[in-house]
Order: sequence, then C-alpha cells, then structure tokens
Amino acid sequence: MRVPSNKVTIGFLFLLFSPLTLPSFAQQPADAVNVVQVMGFADVKPNAKGSLKLENGNLQFSNSKAKTGVAISSLDDVITGNDSQRVFRGTFGTLTLLAPYGGGRFLSLFRAKLDTLTIRYRDAGGGLHGAIFTMAVGKADPFKKLLVAQGARTSIPVQDDSNSAAPKPDAAKEQKP
Amino acid sequence: MKRLPVITVSLLLLFGICTGVTEFHAQTAPPPAKKVSAIQVLMIQSEEVKLPAEFQVSLYENLIQQLQKQGGFEHVYRDGDHSATGDVVILHSTVRGFQKGSEMARQVTTVSGKTSIDVHCQFTDRDGATVLEHDLNGKVRFLGGNLRATLDFAKKAAKLARDNFAVKSGS
Repeated sequence: MRVPSNKVTIGFLFLLFSPLTLPSFAQQPADAVNVVQVMGFADVKPNAKGSLKLENGNLQFSNSKAKTGVAISSLDDVITGNDSQRVFRGTFGTLTLLAPYGGGRFLSLFRAKLDTLTIRYRDAGGGLHGAIFTMAVGKADPFKKLLVAQGARTSIPVQDDSNSAAPKPDAAKEQKP
Repeated sequence: MKRLPVITVSLLLLFGICTGVTEFHAQTAPPPAKKVSAIQVLMIQSEEVKLPAEFQVSLYENLIQQLQKQGGFEHVYRDGDHSATGDVVILHSTVRGFQKGSEMARQVTTVSGKTSIDVHCQFTDRDGATVLEHDLNGKVRFLGGNLRATLDFAKKAAKLARDNFAVKSGS
C-alpha cells in the first residue's frame, strides 16, 4: 500500500480544518471588527458578513454590497453577550445532517463561541430600531468601550458587562429563568 | 299516546335551553374589532422574565418585519415614532415566559433543547383602552438557532393583528 507524502497529508488536514480558522486573524484597523449582521439594518440582508467600524461619529457597517450606518449619538443602548454556533453551517452544514450513522449529529458537537453586540438606536423621526451583530470572541467588549467613549449610551456599565454572576438591574440582561 | 305531552314539554325545554345558550353567547362574545389603517409596535417588555437583549431586539424587529410583510396595514410605526397619528392601534407585548434551549442539544438529540417564548399581546387604541388581548408563543424545536423562536412568535402576532385590525385582512 502506498503511503501518501507529508505534503499531501498536511494539505488535506489544512483543508479539513480550514473552517475552524478564526476570522479575527484577518488584518483590520483597531477600531473595526469583522461581524455578521444578524438583523436590524434596513439596507443590509440578514446574516450579511461585513465590517463594523467607527467613522466620523458614525457606527458604520460595510461590505461589498452595502454601506450603512447610524450616528453614535443616536445609540440608546449597547449590550454585549455571548453565544455559539456550528462550525459546519450553511448549505454544507445542512447536508451534513443527512450523513449516515449519526455523522451529522457528531459534527453538530463542533461549535465556535462568539460574542454578540446588540444596539438600540433612534431614527430621525424618533422611531426605535434594534440591530444584532455577532463577532469573534473577545471583540465585543472593547468595541463597546469605544462606542461608549464616543457618546453611546448603555444600560450596563462597561466594566460590569462581562460579569454574569452579578445581578443586573435592567430587563435586557442574559439570564435563564 | 300518554307520552306525547312529556315529549312535547321536553322538546320545548330543549328549545328554550338552546335559545338561551345562543343568546348568552351573543351577549358575551367580544364586539368585532375596529379596522384601522396603521399599527404601532412598542418595544417588547420583559419585567417579569429576564430576557437577553438580543431576543428582545429580535422579537421587536421580526414583529415589525412580519407586519410589513403580511400586509393589511398602510403604515407600521415603530416605538417612539412621532408620525404615528390618526387611526392607529398600538401593540404592547410583554414576555411572560422564556426558556432558552440549546441548538446543539436539538441537533444531537432531536427531542431536547427546545427554545420557547411566551408573550402576552395587548392591543390598545390611542386612548389606552384595550381592544384585544391574546397570549402567543414562539418556539423552535428542530432546525435553526435560538433566535428563530422570535420569528415564530412574530408570524403569529402579525397574523393576529392582520385578522383583527387590518383593513385588508386577506393575505
């Protein structure tokens, strides 16, 4: 039996585990983060990937198809949280559910942690909007600090935001009943 | 032949009872809701239940999207919108129960990990008088992330609003 060379083996392993590569390794400015816009911005499709950055007093979301933003002074609330998602997702993830011998269920065990950033803001007419973003672990809290430093309001003080053990006064906190 | 009066009396009594029940139902049934051209959605409240912020925002945004998508209203106003005037019904939503499940548990076991949200919906007119109250539930049992439960609730709430208040109630 012919043994595959090291280069082939390394290449195969690289391809196999490439979805596990964190997006945070990408080069980007300090005040910009790669995010997924789960919902909220009117001109952007749900679950659109893009970059979130602070620019001229605005919170700007941009990708190849859309560029939109809101004034930081209009942000009523900025809240961070955490969640997780399947490593193998999308169309490939759906196809894995059809894998025999419980292979899809096994692959569901591979999950990547992520941070969530939830904002509430008001438009020019006073209407309340909300938007949810997900980003790599450890990115949400520094970004929230930047937002608060530039005038955004928050119902949870920045230093207490990651302390899940402490009781939180506002209703919009993460806690199981 | 001796039984004829008994049968007659029994039939009369039965008829009387049926008529009374019908009249009783007619009296207690709520009056048909007034049709309006606009609806205003207020931010979801969750004083009794601690609800994560992303669920609160997702409930609100999905509700507005579904009301716009399912049609029936000329305007769907957001909370705090200054232009929400005239003939408008206001939707107050209060979360009464929340069970955050696990997407991983759902995919691995199929039977566990359900996410469920119970919301009390109250429709009022501009004066604050309640015109309709209803409890709705949003859940995700199998496929999808936890936030999908908010979409399930939003679809039900939008249908309830359209059926009861929309001028164009047909989809």
